[in-house]
Amino acid sequence: MNSSPVTSWEDVGAYFTFADTPGALYLILALAVLACVLTIVQAAKHETEAFKKVEYSD
Amino acid sequence: MEQQIAELTKSGAMLGTIQLEIFYWWCTAIMILIHAGFLAYEMGASRAKNVLASGVKNILAFAFIVPTFFFFGWWIYLAFPNGFIPVEAGNAGLPWAQDMGPNLKDNATGVFWAAFVLFAATTASIFSGAVIERIRVSAFVILAISLGSGAWILAASWGWHPDGWLLTKFGYHDVGCAGLIHVVAGFFALGVLINLGPRIGKFNKDGTTNDLRPHNIPMVLIGLMLIIVGFFGFLGGCAILNPGAQWTNIYGQPMTLSAYAFNTLMCFSGGIIGAWITTRDPFWMMSGALAGIFVAAAGLDIWYPPLAFLLGMVGGAIIKPGNDFLVKMGIDDSVGAVSVHGFAGVLGVMAVGVFAAGYPNPGDAPDTSFVGQLVGVIVMILCGFIPGYVISLLLKSIGILRVPDEVQEVGLDIAEIPSKAYPEAAGYKSGSLVPAE
Repeated sequence: MNSSPVTSWEDVGAYFTFADTPGALYLILALAVLACVLTIVQAAKHETEAFKKVEYSD
Repeated sequence: MEQQIAELTKSGAMLGTIQLEIFYWWCTAIMILIHAGFLAYEMGASRAKNVLASGVKNILAFAFIVPTFFFFGWWIYLAFPNGFIPVEAGNAGLPWAQDMGPNLKDNATGVFWAAFVLFAATTASIFSGAVIERIRVSAFVILAISLGSGAWILAASWGWHPDGWLLTKFGYHDVGCAGLIHVVAGFFALGVLINLGPRIGKFNKDGTTNDLRPHNIPMVLIGLMLIIVGFFGFLGGCAILNPGAQWTNIYGQPMTLSAYAFNTLMCFSGGIIGAWITTRDPFWMMSGALAGIFVAAAGLDIWYPPLAFLLGMVGGAIIKPGNDFLVKMGIDDSVGAVSVHGFAGVLGVMAVGVFAAGYPNPGDAPDTSFVGQLVGVIVMILCGFIPGYVISLLLKSIGILRVPDEVQEVGLDIAEIPSKAYPEAAGYKSGSLVPAE
């Protein structure tokens, strides 16, 4: 996968991966946001299950 | 000759740019000690059955603030200096902007962003300590993001940004974030604590209280001292390095780092002594060191150092009575964060209004004044309390804010954490459950 936005280092500004491909930036950003959101949702579920184990053991 | 001068000029300018980059890089690195300190502090302040859960919560605050501050926090700072309507300049902080990543024409954005991320994570960590031992991790992460990447940075856009309306209309002065971080975080914590409720066992039915002591005071003290070390990076990050010219504070007023050196050390000492006089308790003495810094923080660039010392003494002296007042009101703040950060921060902002009115601001912004500071501190209280109260109320209403009482009694570690803090300690109560996985 060729993700480089530059072909030489002359007069270069932004040079991060996919800097010249907005669609790819939006997609990667959306995935990163989704990863954070899903992690929090999963954490909430994990807590609920873990707490039930304690309650059932009483 | 002209070519040589041009090359030397270009080289000098690049040297200045790299000097700036290096300065904020190391400020950020030192600020991470704040988080090492908060980690030790919160784990030490927990009871043995909750040590690792408190640690996990604190680590996650840092971990989630970094990406969320990239997603929207930096944009909020740049976009909202006028209030709630975004300005076009904010586009430079959008997460897909050309400045928001490796860029050979922009040496500054990354290091400034990083310093602000550490400010944001500090804000979240302040709130974190208040709610240990009974808040659900998922709810905590949501609240920490709301504070660190939302409420605080909006307040900073209003009261710290060179175009912020609190500066341009009221001459608000808060160079070391007494209001922007400590008041906002302290009152955010208060808003959450009202909905979260006390730890199980804190209050008795007859209205008396139980002293739920930290399990490891030495760890608490070391943590607090680490926070103090980290604050030197924090305060350095609050100064603007102008290559080839005098330092300025965040508002563009000239200053020196020497001013910060004089006053930070003086108010730090005053805070310890003030708390020692009123408590004799090392926990409050080191908390007093922090409160001393916060009471002087808004005017660290301008205080006469003995005045900073006296302000620090007042800060150190008031935090225990402040926390006792909250306990009487039925608020269980596990580490006294509301008092240490919120109450001391309010005094800090107002100290500038009382003792440092009349300092000129750049451009058309009014001079520093009592009214300007009063307006600022009210805004900071609201910026913290309203989102803290409203979001935690929402989380409470759907039943995901508080750890059930029976789980609190067993201990959060055994319920949530697949590890043990002190597996070989004599008398360690492991419970009848296997650790969570």
